[in-house]
Amino acid sequence: MSNVIAVIVLAVIIGAAVGYIVRSRKKGAKCIGCPAGDSCSMKNIKALEHSLEQSKHECGCQSGK
Amino acid sequence: MRIAFAGNPNSGKTTMYNALTGKSEHVGNWAGVTIGKKESPIKKEFSGGASEELIAVDLPGAYSMSPFTPEESITSGFVRNENPDAIINIVDATNLSRSLFFTTQLLELGIPVVVALNKSDVNEKQGTKIDVKLLEEKLGCPVIETVSTSSRGLREVMEKTAALKGKGQKAPYMQADIDMTDKNAVDAEDRKRFAFVNSIVNDVETRKILTKDTTKQDKVDRILTNKVAGIIIFAAVMWAVFWISQSKIGPLIADWLVGWIETFQGWVAGLLENSSPFLQALLADGIVGGVGAVVGFLPLVMVMYFLIALLEDCGYMARVSVVMDPIFKRVGLSGKSIIPFIITTGCGIPGIMASRTIRDERERRATAMLATFMPCGAKIPVIALFAAVFFGGASWVSFVAYFAGIALIFLGALLIKQITGHKYRKSFFIMELPEYKIPSLKRAAFSMLGRAKAYIVKAATIILVCNAVVQIMQSFNWQLQLVEEGMEDTSILATIATPFAVLLIPLGFGVWQMAAAAITGFIAKENVVGTLAVVYGLSAFIDTDELALTGGAGEVATTFGLTSAAALACLMFNLYTPPCFAAIGAMNSELGSKKWLWGGIGLQLATGYTVAFLVYQVGTIITTGSLGSGFLPGLIAVLAMAAIVVMVTIRSNRKLAAEYGAIHSKGGVTA
Repeated sequence: MSNVIAVIVLAVIIGAAVGYIVRSRKKGAKCIGCPAGDSCSMKNIKALEHSLEQSKHECGCQSGK
Repeated sequence: MRIAFAGNPNSGKTTMYNALTGKSEHVGNWAGVTIGKKESPIKKEFSGGASEELIAVDLPGAYSMSPFTPEESITSGFVRNENPDAIINIVDATNLSRSLFFTTQLLELGIPVVVALNKSDVNEKQGTKIDVKLLEEKLGCPVIETVSTSSRGLREVMEKTAALKGKGQKAPYMQADIDMTDKNAVDAEDRKRFAFVNSIVNDVETRKILTKDTTKQDKVDRILTNKVAGIIIFAAVMWAVFWISQSKIGPLIADWLVGWIETFQGWVAGLLENSSPFLQALLADGIVGGVGAVVGFLPLVMVMYFLIALLEDCGYMARVSVVMDPIFKRVGLSGKSIIPFIITTGCGIPGIMASRTIRDERERRATAMLATFMPCGAKIPVIALFAAVFFGGASWVSFVAYFAGIALIFLGALLIKQITGHKYRKSFFIMELPEYKIPSLKRAAFSMLGRAKAYIVKAATIILVCNAVVQIMQSFNWQLQLVEEGMEDTSILATIATPFAVLLIPLGFGVWQMAAAAITGFIAKENVVGTLAVVYGLSAFIDTDELALTGGAGEVATTFGLTSAAALACLMFNLYTPPCFAAIGAMNSELGSKKWLWGGIGLQLATGYTVAFLVYQVGTIITTGSLGSGFLPGLIAVLAMAAIVVMVTIRSNRKLAAEYGAIHSKGGVTA
């Protein structure tokens, strides 16, 4: 019986940890738990790249290059 | 209603954004802390009775609507193309003439603007007065004095902003219709705008202390930013940080925490008394013991971040940038590189990403590639563990680890300079030095708690899963039978790690346990501690009877079976080989080239291996008078790596010379 309880506890602990990691990854966090996780997400990288492209086309200069 | 927060770098935008939204985005008193756009709803208490939700958009600092740096282009791109309903222009009230240049450009967009005259408290202290009513008249928009750090004036700012929805904005100064690609025309127009701004400032501002006057701050700066004294002071300050966090206050708190963890582990083991030995080992030793070993170092990390936050807040870290600037430029890096390096002491990923603010591609890539030589927060437990177990908890170990990291950045930068054939070019690093102030304990505590939360979440997720996997792989052999006690060498983990361990013999720690720890360290560096705890069946790296990290040292050091030289080599290897996979992913994004990425990983691997080899072999000669094991194969490996670097350098320089030759000969024909 105690083996069954131990297995259930293990499954819950590891399942919760893996679930948290998967959810964070889906949200775009690169480093789990990091307080700067939002600003590190791929979304922001894409936004930065997009802005760089736009600024290049708008003014004709090579800013950001 | 979307409200853009725009202003010059270091004007306090993110501090205001955090105060209004309740978020805790990273703030700093130097330019370039915010490199991306962030959005969040404003708290009800600040929404000024607006019926609809107010969304704040925090933007990177910009000096002008004509972007000069990548992060400035985010700001100009957003306010031009995404039509926010209003703009809150955060103006540094202590530097009105510089700030209003950008303000006048924002006012031309037709979007309602509210000016927040931030840092008004500093002005009051300096006796500088600004006629707010007159400034409102001159600019044609509401102007409110604010202090972001104490939320003064923020409610009024939001009330005025919410009331402006749907209204337009008249510009007090309109730029002439000029060709924006004509540099001379743009310069002339900018001069006219500056003249207009200066005329406003002359009318509205009364200063007690003139900019040209030498203040107490200037006198202190002369010492702290002196190229010799500045470095000595920086070294002394960092030594004090490590001494307090890792030899004094940190271990004292850690001891108390470890006591609780041990009690909990004993309680869990008691509950599992009738369970199978494998489940007992997995739950009590693998999960609770392994995670507990990592969490035990949390107080050391917290104390260190608290002290660094105090140093940042009082304005000292900005001075360090000035001290390091000329040195970095000499080795082909940008003066701006110091910011990513300082950020990396917290976490490598934002540090690598901060290299985006560097315009020159080669300097940016070199910075992203070298940043992780600075030991990040995840490496602190590893440093503390080795310092405690083998060196009596001495603070010099952390000090050496940090300054060796800086030295490796210099050497790595020199190497990249040689390989890329970079010639010296004059570059400028202009940084506004913040006012010295008494650091806020509250802000430092919040910064520390944010880091602590991240550390605990990481320990309870990635570290926990890794420790469980390590425990399972250590408990079974390839026939999926439980490994008997004393036969751990036949486990799945041991058979996978042993080939790697052979490569580590010349470094003095060629055992499968250390190899397994180094490998799991690539998932997260804290794993080195967790894995060592699991594979050696240890969790009490901190002895609760001795009230210090050094208490259990003798027993733990015997279990590890390493000499002091080998232990230091092992530490150096784990610190300077490539960082965790997440940081490598960030490097991949920033470098934007597979050639540079693999070059960077190769450089880090070669550096870590060479440093560890030298430390072990030289250390062994000093302590025993003879060479360490595996000297010859290690020497051959190091020489082979050096030969590859020389070959790459020669090939790259030949290629560059050929390209130059082709350009010159082409030029000759054309002429």
